[in-house]
Amino acid sequence: MKNLKEITTRLEIAKKNIRKNKIINKSSNVTSLGKAFKISTELVAAVVVGTTLGFILDNWFGTKPWLTICFFFIGAVAGILNVIKSAKNMHKNFKE
Amino acid sequence: MTINPMHQFEVYRIGPEINLGAVNLSFTNSSLFMVASSITILFLLFLGTKKKLLIPSKIQLITEMSYIFIAKMINDTAGSSAKPFFPFIFTLFMFVLFCNMIGMLPYSFTVTSHIIVTFALAALIFIGVTIIGFIKHGIKYLELFLPKGIPIVLLPLIVVIEIISYLSRPVSLSVRLFANMMAGHTMLKVFGGFVISLGLLGGWLPLSFSVALIGLEILVAFLQAYVFAILTCIYLNDALNLHH
Repeated sequence: MKNLKEITTRLEIAKKNIRKNKIINKSSNVTSLGKAFKISTELVAAVVVGTTLGFILDNWFGTKPWLTICFFFIGAVAGILNVIKSAKNMHKNFKE
Repeated sequence: MTINPMHQFEVYRIGPEINLGAVNLSFTNSSLFMVASSITILFLLFLGTKKKLLIPSKIQLITEMSYIFIAKMINDTAGSSAKPFFPFIFTLFMFVLFCNMIGMLPYSFTVTSHIIVTFALAALIFIGVTIIGFIKHGIKYLELFLPKGIPIVLLPLIVVIEIISYLSRPVSLSVRLFANMMAGHTMLKVFGGFVISLGLLGGWLPLSFSVALIGLEILVAFLQAYVFAILTCIYLNDALNLHH
């Protein structure tokens, strides 16, 4: 009988530990580092894509520097929008 | 001995040259390490699933953990409607992870440190996800580029911005993995070169840095595979459940 009691208390302690670990895991460093990597490249990639798109369109229409300049800025806007979007998503996930 | 930190990224031919029309299909060291990582994955999964014990052995535990890890990730980010894509995402994650990890072994070659490899993977995902979106929603998938509640005056600008941000997905996906792997390996090589050039007297400091950097690199190798897989899930989620 004493043995059974001991096992139950041990089980309770183990369960408590699992619960504690879960809370720690939720804000684990690995996922936040991953998010940081994600945001940093998102900003750059949109600028690169925008500028390339502008360059291609310039070659098409023969309006040499103008569309590249325009699309550079549009790309920068898109990059910042991407960062804001993913930051909002993170915030939402964090609240949950 | 000259130490060139970029020498480790050189791709060279192994065996005979194979040309198919204008395409060079020769077997290179890059292909060798891709095959090596695929075989390692197959071997690991084969060993892990051969004996199904109730109390799992170590290899069985690793296999089951990787299965649960990916299954949980897909369920959390893309919901239950993404279940049919589990094999694809599992394969993708394991392939990237093992390419990164095998690249950490001395004298090996890191497949993912070449942008053409990562961009091919990312472009495949991008095209696949776009096709899935169009199959699932038809022409309504284009609503992804039309956020709700935008004044009509701003509409042309917003659509262009949204299209650019959509097109930037494969670029950011591939550049992230490639840049992290290449920068890390170059840094390791540079610090290794410092150890040799500073000799017995001053070489201890860069050596300790190198040891710390290897730890960091193993973390980054895992993390980048994880980020690659989780972003694939997020893009899949966008295509499966339109919620703009």
